[in-house]
Parts: sequence; C-alpha cells; structure tokens
Amino acid sequence: MAFYASRIIQILPYFLKGLLMTIEVSGISLILSTVLGFVLGILRTADSKLITRSIGVYVDVMRGTPFVVQVFIVFFILPSWGLQLEPLPAAILALTAMTAAFICEVVSGGIKAVPKGQWEAAAASGLTRMQQLRLVILPQSMQTILPPLVGQYVLMIKDSSVVSVIGVTELTRVGWQTVVRIPEGLMVFTLVGILYFVICYPLIRLSNYLEHRLSLQTVKL
Amino acid sequence: MIVFKNVHKWFGKLHVLNDINLHVRSGEVVVICGPSGSGKSTLIRCINRLEKFQQGELYVDGQALHDHSINLTKLRADIGFVFQQFHLYPHMTALQNVTLAPVNVRKIDKKEAVALGREKLARVGLADKAEAYPAQLSGGQQQRVAIARGLAMNPKIMLFDEPTSALDPEMIGEVLDVMVQLAGEGMTMCVVTHEMGFARQVAHRVIFMDAGQLVEKGAPDEFFDHPKTDRAAQFISKILTH
Repeated sequence: MAFYASRIIQILPYFLKGLLMTIEVSGISLILSTVLGFVLGILRTADSKLITRSIGVYVDVMRGTPFVVQVFIVFFILPSWGLQLEPLPAAILALTAMTAAFICEVVSGGIKAVPKGQWEAAAASGLTRMQQLRLVILPQSMQTILPPLVGQYVLMIKDSSVVSVIGVTELTRVGWQTVVRIPEGLMVFTLVGILYFVICYPLIRLSNYLEHRLSLQTVKL
Repeated sequence: MIVFKNVHKWFGKLHVLNDINLHVRSGEVVVICGPSGSGKSTLIRCINRLEKFQQGELYVDGQALHDHSINLTKLRADIGFVFQQFHLYPHMTALQNVTLAPVNVRKIDKKEAVALGREKLARVGLADKAEAYPAQLSGGQQQRVAIARGLAMNPKIMLFDEPTSALDPEMIGEVLDVMVQLAGEGMTMCVVTHEMGFARQVAHRVIFMDAGQLVEKGAPDEFFDHPKTDRAAQFISKILTH
C-alpha cells in the first residue's frame, strides 16, 4: 500500500499536467463548439431549405462517423489540402467540429420545441426575426437546451481522450506513456479514470439539477 | 384602411381564400363569422401578413401587401393582433409582455415604456397584475394582457382571432367588455368571433364566410335576423341553438 502511495506521488505531477491539457483542449473546444453549435442550430431552423439541408448533411456525417476517424482526417488528410495543423489546434478543430454538430441538434430541437404561436406573437408585434429569436424564443428554449447541452460537454471531455492518438499529451496519453514504464498498469488507468470523473462529475450533477429544475417549471406551468 | 381586391389563397390544393373583396374603413368594426375551416382566421392573418396569399391585391393603411418588398416590421408595428390562445411570453411578466415591442420596435425609453405599459394594463383592468407571470393569471386575464400588449403599440388597426373561444364561459364577458370599450373609442377592428351579442352591440358590419368565400355581408341585426343566403341561415340557427 505504502508502495502504491509513493508511486502515485511520483507520477501524479505528470497526470496533473495531462489533466490540465485535457481541460485546456476541452475548455477551448467547449467555448468554440458552443458558439458554432448555436449558430448552426439557429440556422437549422431558418426558412432556407438549402441552408437547413446542408447543415443536416454536416450533422449526419459528424454523428455517423467515429471520432477517431475525424481526428485522423483533420490531422493527416487536411494537410494534403493545404491545412497543416499542430496536434493541439488539430485536436481542438476536430473536437469543435464534432461537438458543434451535436450542440446544433440540441439547440435546433430546443428552438423547435417553442410553440409556433410565440414566433407569431413576436412577429405580429413588429419584432424582426433576430429580435424574435433573441428576446422571445431563445430565452424559452434555454430551459430545454441547457440539460442536454451540459451533457454534451461531458461527452466531449471524455471524447477528448481520443486526441491522444495524434500526440496531444493530455490525460489519456500520459496514461499510455506511464503504463509502459511502470508495472502498476491497473493503478495507472484507474487514476486516469478518476481524474476524468473529477471534472465530469460536477457537470453531470449540473445537468441533473437543470433537468430537475426544468421538470419543476413544467409542472408550474 | 383595409382593401381586399380579388384575393386568392391556396394551401396546397385547398382553396382557402376564394376571390375575397372587402373594404374596411377607418374606425369601422367588422365581425367575421362562419363555420370552422371557412377561411376567416386566414383572412385576418393576411392583414398583417402572418399568411401570404398568391393572387389579388391587399392594401393595408396605404401599403400594398401583394408587393413583396414592403417593410413587414413597420406594417406589423401598426397592427395589433390578438390570438385565440393568447400567446403571451411565458418568461416575462405582464408588464414586460406589454413593453417588449414598444422598447424594441418603437425604441422608446424604458421608463416611458413602463409608464405606457402600466397605463395600457390599467385600461384593461389589470393595473394590479403588472408583475404577474402569465401562468399566474386566469385565461381572461391573460387575454386582456394580450390586448394591452397590442394596444401598447398605439396601433391603427386591431385584429382579433377568436379572442374568447379558448376561455371559460365566465371569463368571456371581461374580455368582450374591453373590446366593446375599444370599439367605442373608434378603433378600427376586425374580429373573428361567434359572439353574437358582441356583434350586435358594436359591429358595423358582419361578414359571413364559408368554404373560403365571402358569402354575405351586412349590418349585424339584418344579418342575424334576415340572412339572405341559406348557408348563413343554417349557420345562424346552429349557433343560436348551441
């Protein structure tokens, strides 16, 4: 037991560094994918069939292919089209592109869940389409959007482990690097798992809380 | 104020508006009735372009609605619309519901808007409900807030799409009272309703629609007591025995 403890103290700094990288990759992707996801989700509810279908194709492709393949495409195939990225920006691009597709669905679902009469009432009073969205529709959609949105963040943090394959030294890659050097393989990946759980768990609780609050409000209305 | 000239509209193959000709003068109160699916809601929804139509001409307050380049927000800002299902914004208080468009469309000062909003709420008898959310209000109160919301834009025309059909019977009166008062003040109003008492009391004209056609128009008493067409007579006998 004492042996384990000293081993953990020995390797922990590396894991914390990996954890920080995981947080950095996920955090930046989280912000970018939220912005992109909302823009796409809003456009997905637009009147133009061309726009909604194009986004639909994008979303289907992102949802229907493994993330590891998407990471490879960004890192190994885009360079032949003239876009050569370092591992970190490539990882952020891949994570953002995938998560934005999921967020797009969450956002457009939330917008569509608002009754059509709300759009009509807002339009009838002279608000522009953007004002209708910003002042009337989105504030109501947020209740539906937030719980699954936070859920997407959790999935994204876990999926960020995949970018270890292109050499981003985040938590999972630190795990791989460590496990070949020391004999306590089980302990290494238990530690990796615990550290992921530490950042995901608060988000899971937040998502549950938001869902609970949402169901209360539905009852009130 | 509102002029329909040979207006046609189709939903796919369904001919929902069939050659509508109608002239509503400023200050006039027109009641539109007819069986469900006759196109009466569609008709008034065309006036603020919640619905488009495919053929004919429609002029509202001098603007040509068949011309697709018109400024829709400006048109709608001058027309109040009251829905059957109220459609108040559930995340805002009554006062916020009423002041949203004045602040964001008319760009009036927030303080001024609050004063205006309170005045309009007082006018529909809900001065004490300014801070209440729609979910805390009865149906009749919600519909009166919706009317105040329309009035807050100082509209030239008020459109009502079955404003009392979703209400419990005991709440219909309070909404009709507000509308009667409004009519008395000279507001131009188009009201889709089956409330005959209201029609007889304030309408200048009653219009009867069936299957997308404007079948009959006339003074309320004349229309209800001596309908000219069989279809109108049948309809009136049904709402009377109902």
